[in-house]
Amino acid sequence: MEKKVTVKTRRAAIVGGNRIPFARSNGKYSHASNQDMLTAAIDGLVARFGLQGEQVGEVAAGAVLKHSRDFNLTRESVLGSTLAPTTPAYDVQQACGTGLETAILVANKIALGQIDSAIAGGVDTTSDAPIAVNEGLREVLLDVNRAKSVPDRLKALTGLRPNQLVPTIPQNSEPRTGLSMGEHQAITTQEWGISREAQDELAAASHRHLAAAYDRGFFDDLVTPFLGLTRDQNLRPDTTVEKLSKLAPVFGTRLPGGVEGATMTAANSTPLTDGASVVLLASDEWAAEHKLPVLAHFVDGETAAVDYVHGDRKADGLLMAPVYAVPRLLARNGLTLQDFDFYEIHEAFASTVLTTLKAWEDAEFCKQYLGLDAPLGSIDRAKLNVNGSSLAAGHPFAATGGRIVASLAKMIHENGGGRGLISICAAGGQGVVAILEA
Amino acid sequence: MPALTQPPALGSLYAKAGLFGQLHRGSTLPDSVYTLADQSIDPSHLLAYQKVCGFRVTDVLPPTYLHMLAFPLSVALMTERAFPFPLIGLVHVANTITVARPVLMSETVSLRVNAENLREHPAGRQLDLVASATVDGEVVWSSRSAYLRRGGSPKSSGAPKSSGAPKRASAAPVVGPASLVKVPDDIGRRYGAVSGDRNPIHLYGVTAKLFGFPSAIAHGMWLKARTLAALEGRLAESFTVDVAFKTPVLLPSTIAIAAAATDDGWALDVRSAKNGKPHLTGTVSR
Amino acid sequence: MSDRYLNLVNSPLGSAVATRVGLPKPAVLRRYKSGDPILPGPVLIGATTGRVKASLIKLVTAAGADVRAAETEGDRWGALIFDATAVATPADLAGIREFFSGRLRSLLPSGRVLVLGRAADGADITVDATRQALDGIVRSLAKELQRGSTANLLLVEDEASLGSALRFFLSGKSAYVDGQPLVLGAGVAPAPKDWDQPLAGKTALVTGAARGIGAAIAAVLARDGARVIVADLQQAGEALAKVANRIGGTALHLDVAAPTAPEKLLTYLQAQTDGLDILVHNAGITRDKLLANMKPEQWDSVIAVNLQSQLSINAALLGSSLLRDQGRVVCLSSTTGFSGNRGQTNYGATKSGVIGLVRSSAAAFAAHGDSTINAVAPGFIDTEMTAKMPLATREVARRLSSLQQAGLPIDVAEAISWLASPGAGGVNGQTLRVCGQNLVGA
Repeated sequence: MEKKVTVKTRRAAIVGGNRIPFARSNGKYSHASNQDMLTAAIDGLVARFGLQGEQVGEVAAGAVLKHSRDFNLTRESVLGSTLAPTTPAYDVQQACGTGLETAILVANKIALGQIDSAIAGGVDTTSDAPIAVNEGLREVLLDVNRAKSVPDRLKALTGLRPNQLVPTIPQNSEPRTGLSMGEHQAITTQEWGISREAQDELAAASHRHLAAAYDRGFFDDLVTPFLGLTRDQNLRPDTTVEKLSKLAPVFGTRLPGGVEGATMTAANSTPLTDGASVVLLASDEWAAEHKLPVLAHFVDGETAAVDYVHGDRKADGLLMAPVYAVPRLLARNGLTLQDFDFYEIHEAFASTVLTTLKAWEDAEFCKQYLGLDAPLGSIDRAKLNVNGSSLAAGHPFAATGGRIVASLAKMIHENGGGRGLISICAAGGQGVVAILEA
Repeated sequence: MPALTQPPALGSLYAKAGLFGQLHRGSTLPDSVYTLADQSIDPSHLLAYQKVCGFRVTDVLPPTYLHMLAFPLSVALMTERAFPFPLIGLVHVANTITVARPVLMSETVSLRVNAENLREHPAGRQLDLVASATVDGEVVWSSRSAYLRRGGSPKSSGAPKSSGAPKRASAAPVVGPASLVKVPDDIGRRYGAVSGDRNPIHLYGVTAKLFGFPSAIAHGMWLKARTLAALEGRLAESFTVDVAFKTPVLLPSTIAIAAAATDDGWALDVRSAKNGKPHLTGTVSR
Repeated sequence: MSDRYLNLVNSPLGSAVATRVGLPKPAVLRRYKSGDPILPGPVLIGATTGRVKASLIKLVTAAGADVRAAETEGDRWGALIFDATAVATPADLAGIREFFSGRLRSLLPSGRVLVLGRAADGADITVDATRQALDGIVRSLAKELQRGSTANLLLVEDEASLGSALRFFLSGKSAYVDGQPLVLGAGVAPAPKDWDQPLAGKTALVTGAARGIGAAIAAVLARDGARVIVADLQQAGEALAKVANRIGGTALHLDVAAPTAPEKLLTYLQAQTDGLDILVHNAGITRDKLLANMKPEQWDSVIAVNLQSQLSINAALLGSSLLRDQGRVVCLSSTTGFSGNRGQTNYGATKSGVIGLVRSSAAAFAAHGDSTINAVAPGFIDTEMTAKMPLATREVARRLSSLQQAGLPIDVAEAISWLASPGAGGVNGQTLRVCGQNLVGA
């Protein structure tokens, strides 16, 4: 029997955010752990909004690269922060979508009235990365541990082989395909015919926009320095298309069956980065009670996935899931792609952004794969990543969602209103997208 | 007909093959049928097999697992005096497995192997080793392996360098997104330890060179197993997987496994990620 | 950074050695601790008229002091207070000599001498000359006192803030204020509900609060009950967040010298406060260079941060409704603003400028809901900045005051917190030095 439940919902507000500047891998944060960085980001948020000793409804965050000791990363970070130790917390992991997914989760809980305030966020380090022992050694050691007697232990130890002492460094590749994200994107780039020039232009614009945003103080209330780093380490304000055009391609050069004319360089791809970000969400009432601003509201979120393992080489590229998620989100909210004042499309690679836009403009693709009578169409590029994105800022996987949510909310607030679209692609062929509005 | 109660030891069979290999003569296959009844599955052995081939650890037998259990029977048959060819020098060129239904680790299987269909082939002569598994009299699984004896005479060399496989990379396009799989140089020894098939061509570069290979080569059935493991979650309850082995995987190597959806399954294409040489082609069908 | 010399001469052996060879013997100053008595001993009050006003006794008693009506042999005093408000002729000054001379030796360590006078008002030459004479008496007396005792002059035009001033000057909060005159005028100066939390319910903003004196100011304002917004450059954000979290405050990244700073500040206050009660202009920089070698950017940046920013932000606040009634603005000047310092023409300009700024702004702030604006001029204060000075320079600088030691950031902070308190409403347009009666530019 179907039971009809009426649920009263309310809008979740974005009060503000905080992140630490993003550092290049093995740069300023090379000895900082995920917990160190997440705690710093939370403490910066607490300082910004005077939340010392406050019991927030919950804290949801996560990391993509995690040590086994960090099984309770977020809760441990909360305990080390100046929030009330009675603040509950949990970890989320959805690859590069982690940060945005945490915001969706807590926004939904706020909307349902289950909590009144929450912190969402993410952190990642590629410097202080977990190193696993060789699989063979691991199995031997576990066998030794399981053995009950000394002779049994010695017997288990005879399974040891010298080559097992070489540690295993985490691979930046998809487990099922063995291809790195860059190699996957190189296939997509080729399939969609994205030019080197267009990619370099997008990369240069990202640096230009981010530098300008820093210069005008846009990040004054979004970023708190950490370990002496005051701006994103990857930012190169003097980047030009001409300089970028001289770099050699790094992805798509070793693919079987071949990507010809590789176009993806170290500059139009995001570098490995370390960093953390958090966002404060709340009900409007909670914000008012705490005399805190409401920058924007969280409207809706959607997640999609593509079969990048066995699917179509062109339509099911690893990072193309947002292409599928956005039309579903638009339909549910009765919006068109053009109904936005800002577009924040995560720059995993310059070509990811360009592919996404091109797919939405492609009538045949939209019909065949998105089931649309007409293509979603093109966007006003002047509204795209206006304060820079991951190519310039860097992309500590789980921290990117928080960076974008807080920045977009502030843009909408500065704009005196409006609506913004967030699109984040993620490993495993996933995509997380969301709408914010004033 | 040899009805065995335990699997024959492959080591002594290989020794026998090495010592008396040249004595095999003839133009007909022995009509022996080897059976091995009521075999229960050793969980730790299954686990080792699943790990070395890249399958998930589960209580369902991988499609290739029973082939490995039946393999000693095949070798016993092929080392019979009446078998027309020496074992060393037979090339495993194709294999078709039909999974009638998933077989569980808890089930007791009976195995049966015979040889049939000796036939002429442009490169020599071919025959099939046919294996099947039954549970309570129901055939749940079967396999047909084609072996090639190169040349007209049993005396010619067994190294696959003369003919058959194309020498240059195939110009055929990769049929779908490819997975890159690193194949370590000890995979032959590891698979040999699990399967019992310690044919020297799979173990070390030195031993493989004795038989004309530039380095150790991966087992064909490991390659097939690894390819099927890449289709985890995409295989039906019952299916037939038919593959042809092309050039051997010289160890170590990185292989590109491609699988493209077809009307009733998958088209498979495995080749060297480095030079595009084909290792395996095949289909999965209902 | 700890004063090793001070610690040494206060050890038994070090003290003996210092006495023999005639080295200065700085005392460990009595500083405020919540719950401590306001003074280490009883108070004796004298007056030019020979009769101490009952209202004064009442105020001193209310401050928590033990006021003695009579004297007995062997009395040791925590404070000696003399009401000289009635002096009119030079002959009247003798009463001051008479009151203090026999009793100074019985002043306890870190004791207090307070002289109450009146400011010269131009009405009568003889009276004005006599009133002005009090200044010289107190400044000289301050130099004579030992063992951490201080002398200060309160020029009482109106008693509105006298009770509050007495509490500050008698207590350990004024440990490093010595030899200073301060005018207590008319103003709205309500007593707080709780003297231990005089700033309860107030919202304060401190600029340059990431470290040093700014961080200490923020901490003391928070201790005294204020909700504190700590502001500093984004680049100092890491330290700033720690300060905010330590004191339960709020961090704001603000470059006070940026042209957009006043607007940003107002926007922030509008969004996240119910208005500001207390503003402390503490942000300041030095770019020392002889004038002969000074580059434009060294000059301009110091002027922009230390002086222009205060003018601009004050103007914006006065033009808005975001400075609440009885608001308090306290600006950081420096003794350099009085004395000048070699290599600091730019810095000296700003610190003198601030003295002028508060004097000239007083009326405007009074008109803005009975608000006040004052400055504090620190002398040599031990901070991260002075820790970087060469050892010999630092040691000499530390001894160049009547208290023979450097002050601490908390000493500056205590003065500011008092000036920011409701009870200090009668103090307006003034600059209070917190310098231990620094010999330079005193």
